[in-house]
Amino acid sequence: MLFAHTVGLSLLVGTNMVVDLRLLGIARRLPLAPLDRFFRVMWIGFWINAVSGAILFAADATTKAANPAFHVKMGFIAVAAIDLVWIRRAVFRRPTGDDVVPRIGRILAAMSIVCWTGAITAGRLMAYIGQDSGAQQFINRIGGL
Amino acid sequence: MTPVLTALGDWLHATALGRAAAGGVPWLWAACETLHFIGLALLIGCVTVLDLRMLGVAKGLPLAPLQRLMPYAVLGFLINLATGVTFFAGAPDQYTDNGAFHLKILFIALAGANVALFYVSGVAKRIDALGAGEDAPVLAKMVAATSLFLWIGVMYWGRMLPFLGDAF
Repeated sequence: MLFAHTVGLSLLVGTNMVVDLRLLGIARRLPLAPLDRFFRVMWIGFWINAVSGAILFAADATTKAANPAFHVKMGFIAVAAIDLVWIRRAVFRRPTGDDVVPRIGRILAAMSIVCWTGAITAGRLMAYIGQDSGAQQFINRIGGL
Repeated sequence: MTPVLTALGDWLHATALGRAAAGGVPWLWAACETLHFIGLALLIGCVTVLDLRMLGVAKGLPLAPLQRLMPYAVLGFLINLATGVTFFAGAPDQYTDNGAFHLKILFIALAGANVALFYVSGVAKRIDALGAGEDAPVLAKMVAATSLFLWIGVMYWGRMLPFLGDAF
């Protein structure tokens, strides 16, 4: 499940970052319209992670629900997902369909990078914050901090 | 492979980096784990988009500007190399005798060889001329499929480090 969660992450966040970078002006010669196809890749990644994440949560729900990093992670994901839908509407569903990125597209792209970075950070820190975290066993093994 | 890794691990563990990662700087390990996953998203994301285009997804994308994303993939790789070395220096015992780690390194080496083939064979240059709607040559498709397989494999062995082996 952790493997599926990692593959889903790379599909969703990785592809989303490529779109974000393009909207922020990198690889500017890349036409926008065909990038629309990658939204399907992102949503596949999203659902892989929603399902694998739900299973991982179910396996350890009481500990994870009490972990503040988990709530922060969910918050970032919610904003990032709304951001993604918004990017598609504001940039890819414009009637003109040209390659000029509207200002709102650049703002949403920057927000997207911030949110995904935040979600990954909070997700990784779930192992280090809160009680019964895996890190404590690890710290004990390497002889304490 | 183990004796070489043990020697390397012993040496790295005694360096300032090794001491910092082994608990000298308490937040370093968690920070590197975070960066390792951000690097992963950059590397695999950029590579996957290029690979999928070569395999025929989103054919409307011309390949030349898509290849301009590769420096970001390299950046992701370097982030992961640096943070990965930090983990190894901090707790080499977790990795030296760990089958999943050996396979991860093997897959990274194979992925590197695949990248070398991509550039040395001239495929990278040839596909640079491909515009919107054009099909990539067979060799490019083989390189792309191999790349996807190997990078997913790298993630698999990486995630399995704590389960098949004994790493955190």
